[in-house]
Amino acid sequence: MTLRKLLGKEGYKTFMKGVWKDHPIGSMCLGICSALAVSNTVANAVAMGVGVTFVLLATAVIVSSLRKLIPLRVRIIVYMITISAFVIVVDKVLKAFFPDISEAVGPYVGLIITNCIIMGRAEAFYSQNTLPLSLLDAVANGISYSYTLISIAIVREILGFGTLLGFKVTPEGWENWVVMSLAPGAFFLLGIFLWVTRTLAGVEPPREG
Amino acid sequence: MNGRIRMIAFVLILASILTGALTSVEAWTKPIIARNEALKIKRNVMAALELDYEDAALEKTFADTVSVVEKEGRTFYVTDDKTVAFPINGSGLWGPISGVLAVEPDGVTVKGITIVHQEETPGLGSRIAEQAYLDKFRAKRLHQGIRITEEGKASGDNEVDGITGATLSCQAFARILNSEASANLPGVKEIQQ
Repeated sequence: MTLRKLLGKEGYKTFMKGVWKDHPIGSMCLGICSALAVSNTVANAVAMGVGVTFVLLATAVIVSSLRKLIPLRVRIIVYMITISAFVIVVDKVLKAFFPDISEAVGPYVGLIITNCIIMGRAEAFYSQNTLPLSLLDAVANGISYSYTLISIAIVREILGFGTLLGFKVTPEGWENWVVMSLAPGAFFLLGIFLWVTRTLAGVEPPREG
Repeated sequence: MNGRIRMIAFVLILASILTGALTSVEAWTKPIIARNEALKIKRNVMAALELDYEDAALEKTFADTVSVVEKEGRTFYVTDDKTVAFPINGSGLWGPISGVLAVEPDGVTVKGITIVHQEETPGLGSRIAEQAYLDKFRAKRLHQGIRITEEGKASGDNEVDGITGATLSCQAFARILNSEASANLPGVKEIQQ
């Protein structure tokens, strides 16, 4: 109730769409590649989530405040150079201040450029909405992406490595489930995650015929 | 026509602004990144040579105890007692492996090994990078070439246990050690004389 008051009617609708109803991974099926690859440990998932959220916010600021100036025919190029610039910033900052995480997430930071969540939101939302609404949408999608990665990573790290954030949490004699630290484990978990959240969100699959 | 000029101008201006911003980020982070890389190499050289250090005083300890010798394009890290370490690089089973190998003053016996980077299968091949496994190479002799045996069967001074489930990664790692040893040991000999 308070959140609804704080954000206003339209803001609240945008926010809730982003974090739940139109969940970027769950509903729009965007950003799946990095969700599978970087959800092996919680630290990586947090770093990736923060990185994507930052790039989303920066893109929202640029695209939505320039939306009336961006020539229609070059809008995709404009999104691309904006996104790439901020991704390089994230990559450099990680390399400089969090070298361990930078090594672990490796090429996937660079691949934020092709993370369709950012392109998709820029084209579908930031280019048509005001700055405050776009920022809300960026926060909501960033949160969605992050909590999905982190919740998958919690399961994968505990089962696959026997640790949580690098601390041993499993009992003595625990046998690591190697499959969980590999891509197939992520597929299983993401599938379960989508099934549960989409059922809860009441999203019906499209009817055949 | 007007629209086209506006379009080009817009892209050019936006690109220049973003490039400017990137250049300043690059200038700001470049020295820090270079320092991180240098520290990482030093940390691994110290670990391979089995020298104790406090992380805060790493650079000072390194400068005090290790001298860097460049020879025919190869880098050697030499301690006072003529223990020599050098970087190793090669292909693992799935991706490049790099690390540091330290050799005792006799010029053939392994003092210590560290792995800086590897891309083997997590939980299987990646176990070659665990300290407990790398310790098995200690005191092995390099002149005949390291051989990987079945787990628990290693007996000779050039034989090392493989890891069940990671045989190919172990063998790839031994190949890297052997080729780097034959490439670098002559230089190590010269330094030690």
